Amino acid sequence: MSRALLWLTLGACALPLHAATYYVIVAGLGGEPDYEQRFTSAARDLDRVFQSEGPVAHVVALTGAQSTAAQLRSALATVAHAARADDDFVLILIGHGSYDGVEYKFNLVGPDLTAAELATLCDRIPARRQLIVDTTSSSGGAIAALERPGRAVITATKSGTEKNATVFARYWVEALQDPAADTDKSDSVSAMEAFAYATKKTAAFYDSQKRLATEHAVFNDTGSGEPVRDAGNGQGQLLSTFTLLRLGTSEQAANDPAKRALLEQKDSLEQKIDTLKYQKAAMDPADYKKQLTEALVDLAKVQEQLDAGAAK
Amino acid sequence: MRRLIRIFALVLASAGLARAATPADCWQLRKHGADAHACFDALTRSASAYDRAEGFWGLADWEQANAQFRLATQSANSNALYKVRWGMLLHERFNDKDASDLFREALAKDPQNAQAYIGLALISAENFDGQAADYAAKAISLDPKSAEAHEVMADLALTNDDRDAALAEADKAIALSSDALDAMAIHVAVDLLADRAPDAWLAKIAAVNPKYGEGDGRIGHQLELHYRYEDAVAWYRKAIDAEPERWSAHSALGIDLMRLGKDDEPYKELELAYNNGYRDAATVNSLRLIDSYKNFDTIRDETTILKLNKSEVTLLQPYIQAELHTILATYEKKYRMTLPGPVQVEVYPNHEDFAVRTTGMPGLGALGVTFGRVVAMDSPSARKPGDFNWGSTLWHEMSHVFILTATNYRVPRWFTEGLAVHEEGMHSAEWRNRVTPDVLIAIRDKKLLPVEKLDRGFVFQDYPGQVEVSYFQAGTICDYIGEKWGEDKLLDMVHSYAKLETTPQAIQQNLALSNADFDKQYLAWIDRKYGAEASHFDEWRKTFMALVAAAEQKQFDIVLQQGPAVLALYPEYVDDANVYELLADAYQDRNDAEAETTILIAYEHHGGQSPDRLKRLAQLEADAGHADEAIATLERINYIYPVKDEDLHRRLGGLLYAQKQYDGAIREYNAVLASAPADKAGAEFNLAQAYFAAGQKDKAQDSVLAALEAAPGYRPAQKLLLELQQTPAKSN
Repeated sequence: MSRALLWLTLGACALPLHAATYYVIVAGLGGEPDYEQRFTSAARDLDRVFQSEGPVAHVVALTGAQSTAAQLRSALATVAHAARADDDFVLILIGHGSYDGVEYKFNLVGPDLTAAELATLCDRIPARRQLIVDTTSSSGGAIAALERPGRAVITATKSGTEKNATVFARYWVEALQDPAADTDKSDSVSAMEAFAYATKKTAAFYDSQKRLATEHAVFNDTGSGEPVRDAGNGQGQLLSTFTLLRLGTSEQAANDPAKRALLEQKDSLEQKIDTLKYQKAAMDPADYKKQLTEALVDLAKVQEQLDAGAAK
Repeated sequence: MRRLIRIFALVLASAGLARAATPADCWQLRKHGADAHACFDALTRSASAYDRAEGFWGLADWEQANAQFRLATQSANSNALYKVRWGMLLHERFNDKDASDLFREALAKDPQNAQAYIGLALISAENFDGQAADYAAKAISLDPKSAEAHEVMADLALTNDDRDAALAEADKAIALSSDALDAMAIHVAVDLLADRAPDAWLAKIAAVNPKYGEGDGRIGHQLELHYRYEDAVAWYRKAIDAEPERWSAHSALGIDLMRLGKDDEPYKELELAYNNGYRDAATVNSLRLIDSYKNFDTIRDETTILKLNKSEVTLLQPYIQAELHTILATYEKKYRMTLPGPVQVEVYPNHEDFAVRTTGMPGLGALGVTFGRVVAMDSPSARKPGDFNWGSTLWHEMSHVFILTATNYRVPRWFTEGLAVHEEGMHSAEWRNRVTPDVLIAIRDKKLLPVEKLDRGFVFQDYPGQVEVSYFQAGTICDYIGEKWGEDKLLDMVHSYAKLETTPQAIQQNLALSNADFDKQYLAWIDRKYGAEASHFDEWRKTFMALVAAAEQKQFDIVLQQGPAVLALYPEYVDDANVYELLADAYQDRNDAEAETTILIAYEHHGGQSPDRLKRLAQLEADAGHADEAIATLERINYIYPVKDEDLHRRLGGLLYAQKQYDGAIREYNAVLASAPADKAGAEFNLAQAYFAAGQKDKAQDSVLAALEAAPGYRPAQKLLLELQQTPAKSN
């Protein structure tokens, strides 16, 4: 994670946790029993994972015969009615997509939905922070229609012309079930961490099968411009702060005035560590190690005091 | 004297003082070591496009020669010979595809053209495709007086290690043509292979052409094909001494030196050949391979040299180096010898790089290859998961290293291959010689070769799959000897070959049997072991296909009902869509973990290698509280596909850590880190814990700092760091 993103992530820890997240998960038309089973299974896994978040998570999963354009419109309308501006909204599309060179369509039971229609439906949802994860074939063809400020869009393919069935969804689901996806050990999985996990695993899948990769996941979270594969140049900030899943107890101490001094000390130490890491290349390795060790030990001690206080 | 007179006449001819020289005259002149430049030069001014083509060819002006041949063959009525000769030019200039087309076009014009069949034989011989001898035989039948056809047949026979036939064909060529130099070279090669002085034949060659480098090169090639790499080097050098501009010899020398693990000279020789226009695939690819060595790290110790790609050295070195030392210790004890120097093992993550190392060699060449004390093999990352077991491959190739050394490179192909296959099975029953469908069919159809002729099954196949069948047969012959007479008899046979005994002599000497009796007993043993399976093969295939169809339809009742009977017909089959996996899927569908575990254990014990299946088995074993079994299962995967699978190493590390096997846990957690994990902090933390538990505090501190550097707020790592700060230092 870049230094700038790290700061944003640290800042995010102080956000109040009472805002809700609305999840809409759709397993589209499989066409064949194998795909049908695979898509449904992925959607159900996500449903279970998000439901485990508790009352702050509002989850709707459409699978099998429910996966119609009408049902999806209805689900999104319900969210549009219920969600507030400070809530988060997540739409995850699993299945097949198509792209005719102009328009992307998400394959559903009955009539499909175009990317433009999906965008319109999502635009009606007042949540300021939105995430759309389109894991279908040709999903790259949907980006231009879906992107908007405040909305991060992840697609399994870099363009509409990557038309083969994808495996990205499998690893996206796995990211939310594998604690290893929480690479910064913040007890939560951000959309950026899940994206990094799933893209790495997807690439490894094609590599191990000795197959030419037919999908290259990308994202755009600035609301304009071309999608990218890696964070940088402004891209990735929203994804990094977009918490998809909380794995454990998040920090509560931020609101405790008694802990303010410790928190300030902690904040100062984290800044020091970040600065040290930034200067690492220019420092004497032994000196870097000594200073880093001291700062990390101090930080661990401060955290221990914070934890001890929280446990009382 | 007659020869000299003829050459003199040719020289006159080439100088324009007598009749005009023909292409054959010029080539004859060159064959006899005379300067043919003027002769060929004169041809380039001929009114005949064909003559001009031959002239430019003789002057090594390939493009002009090619252009003139094109001109010469433009007419629909052109002589078939022109196309044959054009094909020969293209064959010489590494374009076998077009050469082959030209030979066939010539045959379309003239079905009786023996030269065209010779051309096809030469191309087939280089590809070891099994048709070369048929083509050569056809050429001989069409032109019984063609010395060249008999020379080609002699060369093929010797490549196939049929030395008697090689000599007989060579003698026929010499009887037809007193200057059949290549036939004489065959005699030299046979003498050298039998450790006889070849002086008489060398003198005969020198009498025709004292500087016949081509012959030296041919001799070197035959020596190389018979594992005599060092000797081949000497003969390639002789070829170069005789004809410094024989670029094919420079290339062959470079490649042979590479095979011997030499560092600088191979590049020099190959580059020299390349820069002088000798750019066949072997030369070009070998140069590319040498260039790629900058991407490799070399790790040396007293007895081993490992060359591993930088991208996977950290991951693979601990596994391969440890295995290599285990192998060395095992074979040193078994074969009662030590190698005279370190063994070099090269591991290629790009299969094409490995393939360069086997260019021009017979056999499967698919897994690994041994040249003296140099072993080259695929990295597991070069293959699909489950396709390859680097561990068994290394045991196989290292057996060659010992046997080639013990016999001073004088061992028949069947025996060293058979012993290598046998050794795989001796190390692990799961790596034992596996009876494949091709093998069962060969047993059923009685296609196994007599032991005395088994070498021939490895070089030019009589039927598709014969090389694989020959590996099986050679391996089971050694299994049979080991089982009936004891492992020491195999060592005695090694010593027999070292003393230059033939296979009949070695068998008579050590097993007190004639070859015929040995074959009879061995075939009876094979029949007892595999006869029933072989006779039921068609039934198995039919019922198996039906079972696969049922599984595809998810008709698990049918799979469960019929699977065991199908499995019983051919339990060794563990390849694609095997019955074990079909049954495992069915049991999983029924949530019958116990039955699924049982069938997957049977799959594992029969040598099943699907990493996904084995990981599933390990999970079932771990869930059932059988941590040791789960560890053993995951450790099997380390021999199959330890790359690109951080999950494997993390799981195995966790199990080992829980079992307090900290050294193993450290190895596996290091492997996680070497796999460039997404969760670097978690991987470092796990490693830190293992080091800490193993009492290696300094390393634990380094790892926990690395974890916290990646994720400063990582609570468990923070706690470990504080614990380490409070723990008194121990000596590691």
